[in-house]
Amino acid sequence: MMGSSNNQVSAGLRPVGNASVDAKMFAMAFDASPTPMVVTDPRLADNPIVWVNDAFLTLTGYARADLQGRNCRLLQGPDSDPRTIDAIRDALRRQAPVEVELCNYRKDGSSFWNAMTISPVRNDSGELVYYYAAQADMTEKHALELALQETNDELERQVHEQTADLRAALEEKTALLHEVDHRVKNNLQVISSLVLLKARRTPQGEARDALQGMAERIGALSMVHRMLYSAGDVTRFNLEEFADDFMSDLTAGIDPARTAVTAEVDPISLPAAIAAPLALMLHELATNAVRHAFPNDREGRVSISARRCETGLRLQIEDDGIGRNAAAPNPAGFGCSLVEMVVKQLRGVITWHEPGSGTRVEIVIPLQSESPRPATSAPREATLGQAG
Amino acid sequence: MSGAEGLRILVVEDEALIALELQCLLEDLGHVIAGVAASSAEAIELGRATSPDIALVDIHLIDGPTGVEVARILSLDPRTSVVFMTANDKRIPADFAGALGVIAKPYSERAVAGALRYVAAIRAGGQPEPHGSDGFRPASEGVAEDALWSQKPWAGARP
Repeated sequence: MMGSSNNQVSAGLRPVGNASVDAKMFAMAFDASPTPMVVTDPRLADNPIVWVNDAFLTLTGYARADLQGRNCRLLQGPDSDPRTIDAIRDALRRQAPVEVELCNYRKDGSSFWNAMTISPVRNDSGELVYYYAAQADMTEKHALELALQETNDELERQVHEQTADLRAALEEKTALLHEVDHRVKNNLQVISSLVLLKARRTPQGEARDALQGMAERIGALSMVHRMLYSAGDVTRFNLEEFADDFMSDLTAGIDPARTAVTAEVDPISLPAAIAAPLALMLHELATNAVRHAFPNDREGRVSISARRCETGLRLQIEDDGIGRNAAAPNPAGFGCSLVEMVVKQLRGVITWHEPGSGTRVEIVIPLQSESPRPATSAPREATLGQAG
Repeated sequence: MSGAEGLRILVVEDEALIALELQCLLEDLGHVIAGVAASSAEAIELGRATSPDIALVDIHLIDGPTGVEVARILSLDPRTSVVFMTANDKRIPADFAGALGVIAKPYSERAVAGALRYVAAIRAGGQPEPHGSDGFRPASEGVAEDALWSQKPWAGARP
């Protein structure tokens, strides 16, 4: 009803044939139309209403007599937007069609949203003779729009509220993580200092070596914790980075001319929960090889490798020393059972090879998929980490 | 141990066990303990009284996270080089408060020895060797990157 085909109605529309019959037919059709319509005559003073249909009377609540000879502005009221009224006036002045929505008032004072299409009507010689306007009641549409806007505003408010809550929760979580990180590392430092102090006050011998060994194991665990929290992602652990530092510690006290230590470690990302037991195991095996495979200034080499394999992680520690059976049994005893325990905990398999000379230890540890996930959803990994 | 021996070191650490072990370690490495402070006031006073070559400064002291301020004040003395020693390096400001670096706790003997060699080389006007350890980070490398911390969720607009 507001289509552009209505924008220009020619008064010279009448086709050849019986003009009066055509006019009558149009008038009947317009009168019966459910679309409210009005025609004004701009050639008369103040452009008064000259024709309305019944639908227009129903919409506005006026009687035909009330409207006859009046300007359409009698429908306007306090909430009629002056900018829209100006737009109508401007179009009328330019004799151009216009399409607007305006708040209008019925005879009883109630308001309604009136969507109107006003078109100039010209005669055969192109002179302006009428304005024709079709109306539609948009009150319900406006009410819907208003309700939708209110719903949107409310949703937006709720989203803002939830975002603020989440932000506060994240802030709290981050602060808590740093606090826990700080405490873990500080406690490790205290434990390490405690053991080292006792070692310093213990006469040289087995007891002192045992304390020293414990301090070194704590050191290996400490290294893991330093790396875990500095990397940003606290759920993953990069084995290669660990190996770099671990090797520096391992080779710090040995003569490179006598014992050559090499390591080939893939950049493997591991779940944080297995980092500590893995570090402990690596520490035992590597330290054992370096310390006990080459007695009496024997020269040799130790090679360490960590590779991803089909089932998970394959670790190999190999030396060309005197072999396990030939080594003094005592110092290796605890270390070896520690390794066996950790391998079991990690659901891994350990194989001791005794080639002609030296020792080769191979450990395969199953790893779950590489995809990172929240630590809380990995109960198995979490369990593994407990005893580490 | 080229030039990294016989330094006079002030230990600023509130945890008695850690402080005591650190003293033993530093003496083993051939250094002299200028003093041990557990609070910021003690640290500043001892720094003034002894003008140590090096101050190893923890950030959390008895009177709170005052180590950063201690580092700032101690490093005003041109005779003193400051190195942080902390498990909480996120608190170190971007300018390192005048310190030359940070030893991460839990520290290893190697990291402490490496840090002291690094500082000794700088004090001697030489080129410090690459340290190659996660246990010691020179100030020249900047503050720690922390994915969680750097997001600074609280820095955004708050409704």
